[in-house]
Amino acid sequence: MLFQTLPFFIFFAIAYPVYLLVKRTRLRLPWMLAISYVFYAWLDWRYLIPLAYVTVVDYFVTGRMVKSRRPRMWLAVSIANDLGVLGFFKYSGFFAENINILLSWLGTSLRVPMPGEILPGGMVGLSFFLLQSVGYTIDVHRGHAKRETSLLAYATFVSFFPRLLAGPIERANHLLPQLHDDTRVRLRDFTDGLSIFVVGYFKKVALADYLSLYVGRVYDDPGQFQAPALLLATFLFAWQIYFDFSGYTDMARGVARMMGIRLMRNFDNPYLAVSMGEFWKRWHISLSSWFRDYVYIPLGGNRKGKLATYRNVFIAMVLSGLWHGAAWTFVLWGIIHALGNFATRELERTPFYVHRLPKIVKQLFVFVLVTFAWIFFRAPTIGDAGTIVTRMFTSGSADPSCPLSALALIAAVWCYQFLFESRLRWVLELAVVRVCVVIFMLAYMVLTVPAEGKPFIYMQF
Amino acid sequence: MQEQMRQVSALAIDDIAEFDCSHYVRLSGPQWLIVAVALLAFLAVAPRVWNRIEAFHPTVDYRVPYELSNDYWLYQRYCRRVSEQNKILVIGDSVVWGHYVEPDQTLSHYLNELSGGDRFVNLGADGTHPAALQGLLRHYGRDISGRTVLIQLNPLWMSSSKHDLQTTKEFRFNHPELVPQFTPKIPCYKASRSARIRIALRREIPFANWISHMRAAYFQNLDLSTWTIEYPYDCPVTAMTRELPEPRAPERPPQAQKELRKQDMAWVDLERSLQWQFFRQAVRRLQERGNTVFVLVGPFNEHMLTDQNRAVYSKLKDDIGAWMQANNVSHLIPTALPAECYVDASHPPAEGYALLARTLMESPSFKAAVLK
Repeated sequence: MLFQTLPFFIFFAIAYPVYLLVKRTRLRLPWMLAISYVFYAWLDWRYLIPLAYVTVVDYFVTGRMVKSRRPRMWLAVSIANDLGVLGFFKYSGFFAENINILLSWLGTSLRVPMPGEILPGGMVGLSFFLLQSVGYTIDVHRGHAKRETSLLAYATFVSFFPRLLAGPIERANHLLPQLHDDTRVRLRDFTDGLSIFVVGYFKKVALADYLSLYVGRVYDDPGQFQAPALLLATFLFAWQIYFDFSGYTDMARGVARMMGIRLMRNFDNPYLAVSMGEFWKRWHISLSSWFRDYVYIPLGGNRKGKLATYRNVFIAMVLSGLWHGAAWTFVLWGIIHALGNFATRELERTPFYVHRLPKIVKQLFVFVLVTFAWIFFRAPTIGDAGTIVTRMFTSGSADPSCPLSALALIAAVWCYQFLFESRLRWVLELAVVRVCVVIFMLAYMVLTVPAEGKPFIYMQF
Repeated sequence: MQEQMRQVSALAIDDIAEFDCSHYVRLSGPQWLIVAVALLAFLAVAPRVWNRIEAFHPTVDYRVPYELSNDYWLYQRYCRRVSEQNKILVIGDSVVWGHYVEPDQTLSHYLNELSGGDRFVNLGADGTHPAALQGLLRHYGRDISGRTVLIQLNPLWMSSSKHDLQTTKEFRFNHPELVPQFTPKIPCYKASRSARIRIALRREIPFANWISHMRAAYFQNLDLSTWTIEYPYDCPVTAMTRELPEPRAPERPPQAQKELRKQDMAWVDLERSLQWQFFRQAVRRLQERGNTVFVLVGPFNEHMLTDQNRAVYSKLKDDIGAWMQANNVSHLIPTALPAECYVDASHPPAEGYALLARTLMESPSFKAAVLK
């Protein structure tokens, strides 16, 4: 079920009042679990099988882990099980394909059978709940989180529907206590949640889906377009993916807030970052902090010298790329981010970059780096990405036919974000401005948005 | 002043930490109330304001332009306009609308000509099979009450299971937004549940219908987002000219019009026919609204039927006539027009419409019910 569709509004109109009624009773968790499973099963009921399997295994394995003399072994069992599920559903095709290429290159006639698509859409949301479950097991092992004794609470933690399809990837000690909280939902929670939801809804249906019309046209057939169109489509895609994913997160956080539950912030105006390191503190924060805590720091972080630091950044970024999808384009995207990280780290050691270069120039530099990397994220194959990059510099300068309204909308959002992080932010805080912004967003949506919604980009990951 | 605002804002920023977002779009309960009132007012007022400022001056032979066939807001507006005057409304599908003829060659035009006035108005809508027609009258023809209505039944819609919407295989028919979305079930209609709910809701929201009108009339039937992609440097505001598009010239008749081969049509059993069920609903609805209803059955090109099949068709007509009589519905089932008075299975050329109008004017039932 997608947040921006009619079935979700009907679902929530039923689920929410009942939730308010049972919030302070023992039926709270059963109801939350039931609606979460209905929400997920709406896409395909078979999705429930791996969800329930991962939940049950990690619940019992952590139970054994806290009692065992060899907790590390039980941690390994849990991680191997979770990664096995992830590999089975998400990466088996990728590995089989590449092994076959290798076998062919070696001149053998042996071939690994290609697995068919096991579940439709490659199992939507799998990476998100798996990472959350893995994080929980590691936290319990490290003693950073208490082991959840209630299977019901743990199952709700893994499947909590607002964040199920595309995060944020929550931490046990942040979400679990809130699930146990039986205090009343305040009116302020509802109005705040609604505010967050509406902004997310606008980002998704009015901005991301709109920009996707132009981006899709160009990226689906890059050979037909010349440099201006390719540059503009890449620029628009940078914003499309931001609006799409942060829009989803806002809607998820909004729905959860209406239920009195706070999900972590996942985006913080990432295109205002002045270094790649800062970009990852502002973009998909729940994923980058997950890789920081469970990959980068265990590898040694920045404690073992410059070379080891760069190695660890590289590993974390490549794994992050691979997490997005089983394709070399994502690996390359991770590598570009790693190289960009090295570059801005080195630049930040120079007084010129730190003190002399205007902030706006640094922001533009980071934005260009990130946008360049998005080419590899969006292009279907590395070949297509190569075509796009080559044609950006070698093709003609035909009229890109890019709608001016799209550029105007992006400019408006960019200005808002600059203002938000400037000393003039108080202007945005004025009640009249806030009310006018919401009226504008709602009126714009009812006037311009088509009835059919598009799926979220990040759901496929 | 600015300092005061900063102080207020500083307090609010502390509060915003609780909001935990990278924007300030946070409204309180009363502010949401203001937004709701403003938005509802906008939704209610915009179509009314547009209704006043958009030029709409239908002449005596006016018909809703073909390219706006799906513009139900305009149809409703036309219904309202003609219902305010004491007109006789001629309702039906493309046969009434006049698919191959100019506006001054339609049935309503010749009826006006023969009756020496301008009382008949063309409320035909292209592609409105009975299932769609009943929806059109139910949702967008509410203003048709206390009037005299000539409604046409085209038997073509019962000439096969497919036309009767009874096939289980999906069939994309005209005006899916007008047919019942849930009950009675239409076997060949396979829209998703959410699409059906959306359609059912949209029919009840004037603003949504107005948006469809704007898209149809000014934006090539595209939503505004897609339109700006197609016309990247055009301004949507200037595209809204407040002048409805000029109707295109009617479609040219097919070349082989006089050589339609004889065929057997798989007429559906009247009792099981969905289209007949919907047509009866349309008639009842019009009657319940206090209208005087006269039904014209046909004209159907019987010359293209084999002798055996014509007998089946005659039986169908008899059954239709019997139901009309049993339910006191004034009607006329005219004999078929001469073969040269058909362009295809049911559409006449101009001379066919003239002849049909004469037949109607000479019919005692028509005189009694319509020209009273």
